[in-house]
Amino acid sequence: MSRRSTPYALLGPGFLWLAIFFVIPLVFMGVVALESGSLDQGFAFTWEFSNFSTSLSDFDTQFVRSFVYAGAATVLCLLIAYPLAYFIAFRGGKYKNALLLAVIAPFFTTYLIRTIAWQTILADQSPAVDVLQFVGVVQDDGRVLDTAGSVIAGLTYNFLPFMILPIYASLEGIDKRLLEASKDLYASASTTFRRITLPLSAPGVIAGTLLTFIPAVGDYINADLLGGPGQAMIGNVIQSEYLVLKDYPVAAALSFVLMALILVVVFVYIRFAGSEALMGDEADAPAKVKL
Amino acid sequence: MHRRLTVAMAGLVLSLGLAACGSDLGGGGREGDVETAEADGEASGELYIANWPFYIDKQTLPEFTDETGVDVTYREEVDDNNVIFTKMQPLLQGGDSGDRDIVVVTDWMAKKMYDLGYLQNFDQEAVAPAKENLVASLEEPSFDPEREYSLPWQSGMTGLVVNTAAAPDVDSISDIFDPKYKGRITVLTELRDTVPLVMKAMGVDPADATGDDWLAAIDELRGAVESGQIRDLTGNSYTNSLARGDAAIAIGWSGDAVQLQSDDPDIEFVMPEEGCILWSDNMVIPVGAPNPTAAYEFMNYVYEPDNQAQIADYNYYLTPVDGTQEELEKIGSEAADSELVFPSEDYTADCTAQPEPPSESVEEIEEEFQSLITGGG
Repeated sequence: MSRRSTPYALLGPGFLWLAIFFVIPLVFMGVVALESGSLDQGFAFTWEFSNFSTSLSDFDTQFVRSFVYAGAATVLCLLIAYPLAYFIAFRGGKYKNALLLAVIAPFFTTYLIRTIAWQTILADQSPAVDVLQFVGVVQDDGRVLDTAGSVIAGLTYNFLPFMILPIYASLEGIDKRLLEASKDLYASASTTFRRITLPLSAPGVIAGTLLTFIPAVGDYINADLLGGPGQAMIGNVIQSEYLVLKDYPVAAALSFVLMALILVVVFVYIRFAGSEALMGDEADAPAKVKL
Repeated sequence: MHRRLTVAMAGLVLSLGLAACGSDLGGGGREGDVETAEADGEASGELYIANWPFYIDKQTLPEFTDETGVDVTYREEVDDNNVIFTKMQPLLQGGDSGDRDIVVVTDWMAKKMYDLGYLQNFDQEAVAPAKENLVASLEEPSFDPEREYSLPWQSGMTGLVVNTAAAPDVDSISDIFDPKYKGRITVLTELRDTVPLVMKAMGVDPADATGDDWLAAIDELRGAVESGQIRDLTGNSYTNSLARGDAAIAIGWSGDAVQLQSDDPDIEFVMPEEGCILWSDNMVIPVGAPNPTAAYEFMNYVYEPDNQAQIADYNYYLTPVDGTQEELEKIGSEAADSELVFPSEDYTADCTAQPEPPSESVEEIEEEFQSLITGGG
């Protein structure tokens, strides 16, 4: 094997994996999305582009709802995760590993069971809801379960570790001497945070938001178990089209549209996050500091 | 070497691709050539049964294994007729049942699977002992008049399951639309249970309802879902909502109420004054079932009145086996006197056999009902 072909050979297994388990299935999904017919009569490939337009026009509410819920959950995750990761990275001391274990611990119980447990925690007569009613967050005759609030809370809870871990990793990697240097140069704590810590942890924040947002948009367990019909997300629609109505073409088209929309949102976000708009004029600060 | 590897891998990719190409999703029935699952000698080996939750007691299966030497894999994997169908369909299309020997599905689904060529006819000789004990009222259902391919597991009634502490005087389906119970109502995601009951409340006889009647009832439900009157549409999990106290009234199945009573004595099955929906869940043998001989052995076993009594004593559904009441009396079970297990003619006078939407509009009706579940307009 020549020296030049080695890198390609090393890429081989990865490409093969992607080809078999991503590209080929994607092609078939694309083919199914352009079929028409029914299960009883059989499906035929007819370039049925209307599957895509119906997907968007019939289920626009659920698309919008999915992005709103996932966006809200991502913001909440970030607000909870950043201070927590900061504390573990900079103030964790000898408890650092124990704290990280606590973040990962819920994974030892399956996702489904933890979400079902929230049904009990948020039940109408539960102490948790009594407290929320007492402090006025929830109306006296209101409820939490089967509302948008419980679905967003469920998403936030379930995806929180995916936000904490990357942010922790990037905070942990910050060279502490940079913080000392900043202090030596008479920067206040808030300036140090704004100009050193935050920009250097930006890659973790971006990774965390993507790891939270992307699976949350397509999630259907939380809406299924913690929401009612008014909280159905696009995942629930795909499930119903595929498993109940057996309209495989529309289910495939919906999946494609979802994938395209997520790509657009993520692309815009990365452009935005990677530019000065998010990081102020420190956008390229990490590079400078490293020099 | 390197080159051969590349060629081999390319071959693999290609063959996977072709295999995926060849298997078209769905597609035409295979009517006219239904096979018979022949019994062959003594039952032995393994038996895989797919059934609904809460349908069998803990003794029956071990006792069956002791008596016959057949090992049973029993999965409570049927929570929804549509879902088990879709799960099995790609396999059934290729004549494979995923090792399942017996699947339990509701009448309409049994017919649908049969029409698509996914079920086998019974070996009538092998299943004769069971049919001997089948109650007369279930011998000639319209979907399978000679019981060629189906045998009831249990029958049941769809009506109201009520927490009487929260909703003391519920006696009609119209009560689910009573603003007093706003946000404390759940209904089933089974089209053929929920919608016919609502039609009854609207004064329409579901047995000869038109497509428009079905759509009108779905509209009625939509109004109640959008106003928040109906909290959720669920499968079997409505029992959890009732147990937690979130739901006060649910459209639900007769046997479930009895099982919930052990935790909460206030929960009761209420026969609506408009009547109920009557259905059966049937044992069927899918194409490609590996061990039909053991399947018949099991059918004959659960159709022995004393074995059936044990199951009925647990699940409180209507038993399809003659002589079970006497056996239940022998073991001193309260089920022997229960209207839910042995309803009098009076009790079920206004009940309707589970209706099927008119075939020309069934697709539209199913879509409308699903859009209700997924909150679409």
